Amino acid sequence: MTVRWDIFCTVVDNFGDIGVTWRLARQLVAEHQCAVRLWVDDLRAFERLCPQIDITLGEQWQQGVQVCHWPEIWPSTDAADVVIAAFACQLPSAYMDAMAERQTTPLWMNLDYLSAEDWVIGCHGLPSVKYKHVQKYFFFPGFREGTGGLLREAGLLERRQQFQQDAQAQRIFLEALGVHRTPGSRLISLFAYENAGLASWFDAMATDTHASHVLIPEGRVLGDVQRWLGIDGLKAGAVQQRGALTVQVLPFVRQDQYDQLLWCCDFNAVRGEDSFVRAQWAGRPLLWHIYQQEEDVHLEKLEAFLRLYTHGLSQPAEKAISGLWRSWNAGLDMAEHWKMVDQQQQELLEHAQAWCLEQASRPDLAAALVKFYVNWI
Amino acid sequence: MKTGKELKPGTVIRLENDPWLVQKAEFTKSGRNSAIMKTKLKNLLTGYKTEIVYSADDKLDDVILDRKEATLSFISGDTYTFMDTTDYTMYELNAEDIESVLPFIEEGMTDVCEAVFFEERLVSVELPTTIVRQVDYTEGSARGDTSGKVMKPAKLKNGTELSVADFIEIGDMIEIDTREGGSYKGRAK
Repeated sequence: MTVRWDIFCTVVDNFGDIGVTWRLARQLVAEHQCAVRLWVDDLRAFERLCPQIDITLGEQWQQGVQVCHWPEIWPSTDAADVVIAAFACQLPSAYMDAMAERQTTPLWMNLDYLSAEDWVIGCHGLPSVKYKHVQKYFFFPGFREGTGGLLREAGLLERRQQFQQDAQAQRIFLEALGVHRTPGSRLISLFAYENAGLASWFDAMATDTHASHVLIPEGRVLGDVQRWLGIDGLKAGAVQQRGALTVQVLPFVRQDQYDQLLWCCDFNAVRGEDSFVRAQWAGRPLLWHIYQQEEDVHLEKLEAFLRLYTHGLSQPAEKAISGLWRSWNAGLDMAEHWKMVDQQQQELLEHAQAWCLEQASRPDLAAALVKFYVNWI
Repeated sequence: MKTGKELKPGTVIRLENDPWLVQKAEFTKSGRNSAIMKTKLKNLLTGYKTEIVYSADDKLDDVILDRKEATLSFISGDTYTFMDTTDYTMYELNAEDIESVLPFIEEGMTDVCEAVFFEERLVSVELPTTIVRQVDYTEGSARGDTSGKVMKPAKLKNGTELSVADFIEIGDMIEIDTREGGSYKGRAK
């Protein structure tokens, strides 16, 4: 019998929430034959990732997933076998009543945020509150044994490897985005929010002897890029050159295109959670702009990831990449650490590939969720 | 009513009509600005133990508890005997019932603690916010710092380790803030 899943997503910030839940929903359908309803409170944000959707519809089917608008006034509906509240979102009270009224008690999970901190292992899979007799569980993604793992579709790494070995496929993909790569130049993708460190990083690349080509999908960092260039009105398609640095603005791309963009690049600057994970699957050195939290809690999370990620690196490479990440997240001068990263690029590339394989040796998040459900029943 | 964030060792909450003692509570900031409290709970009726994670804003029924002043009488293995300071009644607790304050419990301590009772049964003990303990071992001052900002490790008589100011020496009495795991506050006057 097909297991029914309801995934609830409130769009709080940019495309991370919907990005993760949309990937998860599709994977549960495609690889685990689940019937999935994805409840989203903001279809406009979703439309950027999935342009085929009709934002006027209350429900519709997309890639095998029943996409439902999560309205303010909750419609009467049955609860599913498995209910996922993504990123600690609050379920509608009427839906919680529906969960409690089911003949077979559903599995209710809070799919929490990704963190490399030690406490995650101790909290993953533990029970939480009950609503009537329905027990909630905490499910934590993570990078280590004892966590829920990372979202990774079947065959992802094989597709990536094939693409990275196919120069023509890369050229065709980039040209479709209007990108003409100069041979020998270093290709970099940049997805970030406002960052005071950007100017120093761009300065370093502009004055480098080695050419860099930075691809920037439209987003919040463009304000800083405009200031650095000294121009206004940067839009998709714009190409600007300053010294050895070429800056190019790309249109917002779909998830699968974004993957390919990451696979093409020699270095990827990402932010939040979804793009952070995808950059790791790209097997290329990366720079993470972590979500900023009150009381600088995010810096502890950054250090926790760095401790894991840099394990096995030589001291100069560790110092280079850790220093770059810390500078970026503090909005500090990037020049010195960027030069160090450049000097360690071969080791950092090999390390990124090894890290990717190590992470891929563990069950992916969707499989771990399904297993959790199977064990629970 | 208590929120998940307010849970601390010694709190008793009611879950499905049973009273559960919070033996351990670890607060953690999760992603974005949400937070969780991981708890170790003991059912006061059956003795069954479990671990539960609460969101910081989860609402929980707390149980009104009786509190009395008590002092440590003696320690025998894992059993800690406390005495009611008014009627001299003796009460026993296991080490795991006072896990959170255990690092600062030692033979001969004279602190007046708060004994927590559920239906006339001692379930937990809370230490005063500030206690004074003697430093049993610490290295000598490395830099001669007197500001109190440079810290070094030190050991108490019961083996508990904590960071103290660089100028603290063996035998010094120090003040410890017992909240949130316990931390050095200053040299005792």
